[in-house]
Amino acid sequence: MERQIINKKKRVFSVEPNKIPPSEVFTRKYTSLLVPALKKLNMNKNSSQVNQLTVKHEVDMALALSAQEFAWSRFLLQKLSSSNNPTTTTSSSSNGIRIQERSGKEGGHEDGEREEKLRELQKLLPGGEEMNVEEMLGEIGNYIKCLELQTIALKSIVQDTT
Amino acid sequence: MDLTGLKWLQQQQQMVSPEFLHILGSDGREELRRVESYLGNNIYDTIDGCISRTSSFQMEPVKNNEDNRVIALRNKRKPEGKTEKREKKKKIKAEDETESSMKGNSNMSNTETSSEFLKQDYIHVRARRGEATDRHSLAERARREKISKKMKCLQDIVPGCNKVTGKAGMLDEIINYVQSLQQQVEFLSMKLSFLNPQLEFHINELSSMMADPRYFPLHQQGSLDYSVINSNQTTSLNALKMETSSSWDVHSQCLCNNLRTDSVSSFFSLK
Repeated sequence: MERQIINKKKRVFSVEPNKIPPSEVFTRKYTSLLVPALKKLNMNKNSSQVNQLTVKHEVDMALALSAQEFAWSRFLLQKLSSSNNPTTTTSSSSNGIRIQERSGKEGGHEDGEREEKLRELQKLLPGGEEMNVEEMLGEIGNYIKCLELQTIALKSIVQDTT
Repeated sequence: MDLTGLKWLQQQQQMVSPEFLHILGSDGREELRRVESYLGNNIYDTIDGCISRTSSFQMEPVKNNEDNRVIALRNKRKPEGKTEKREKKKKIKAEDETESSMKGNSNMSNTETSSEFLKQDYIHVRARRGEATDRHSLAERARREKISKKMKCLQDIVPGCNKVTGKAGMLDEIINYVQSLQQQVEFLSMKLSFLNPQLEFHINELSSMMADPRYFPLHQQGSLDYSVINSNQTTSLNALKMETSSSWDVHSQCLCNNLRTDSVSSFFSLK
């Protein structure tokens, strides 16, 4: 059993040192950011309860920092840092790029539905409202993967403590 | 340059990709080059050349030209096979038609707009079957193709999307999935906040482990320095395994192993 685990560990590092699976990079970054942050939180607020919001904040921050190559992470960072200082005005663009389908072929009904859904999707993605459709669809894929990895990392941290 | 060569190119269904060029061999490449030089190397010149050739052509409003050039530019930069082929067809066919006659295009499947085209004297473009040849609709079509390609990628990522067909259903699934993931994260973070005091012990262990450059050699940016890890593989890993009692590290590594799929890597490189 021990040997298997060691072998698995060995397998983690690929033969080509440059080709690191990005999922691994992300999870390592994420956990290495989150855990010390939580520890710091714990130390700072010794006796008082750790606020749920602050934990959420740290969680989001860790997510944004560990996926910095994506557009949505930048938006998330901006939102988080702006929420820290409520006095600063957020520089959100007033003219967000709206989804417009100019096709004359498809029925108006279908289009309206699809537009609505795309708009909803935009709202879910941080910064999605300021991207156009193609960009957003690509970013959503990254975002979903990062969310999945994040849940896995969080689960393993929580599991470890119970 | 004879027309048979041109027709051969037109009939090619394959994409003009580098692999295709390789298959073509040097002769084929020569021919392609000849065609390009015949039509004018620069796409801009070609389009302008087409316009200038026929006296009855009206100058289109500048905006349309720009759009077309933008499309052409985009196609030139990233040779996506189909769109480039279409561009080539546009060029080739345009030349072809100026040479033959400009009367009713029998290949124009959209009969309503064909008459309009004749009246407006735009560049006659032979479109694919069953599609309009308006400049705008071409751009629209290219855009829609890109979107549908991305939707297909998303289909692989989001579980349960295969059964649903149609864009609306898939979008629904995707929305639900993202929402459920976000809710999960919230729930877990809530759990974490309740458990936080108990994290002391393990966090201390973990953070000391992390700070130790032997086991977790970090770059400046804070990401793992894999080069160091690879060289000291056996010694550091074994030591790590022996010392730590928490199963966290093994946990996450096993999980990372499981996560390594093609779709993940494709999506992380998707820009």
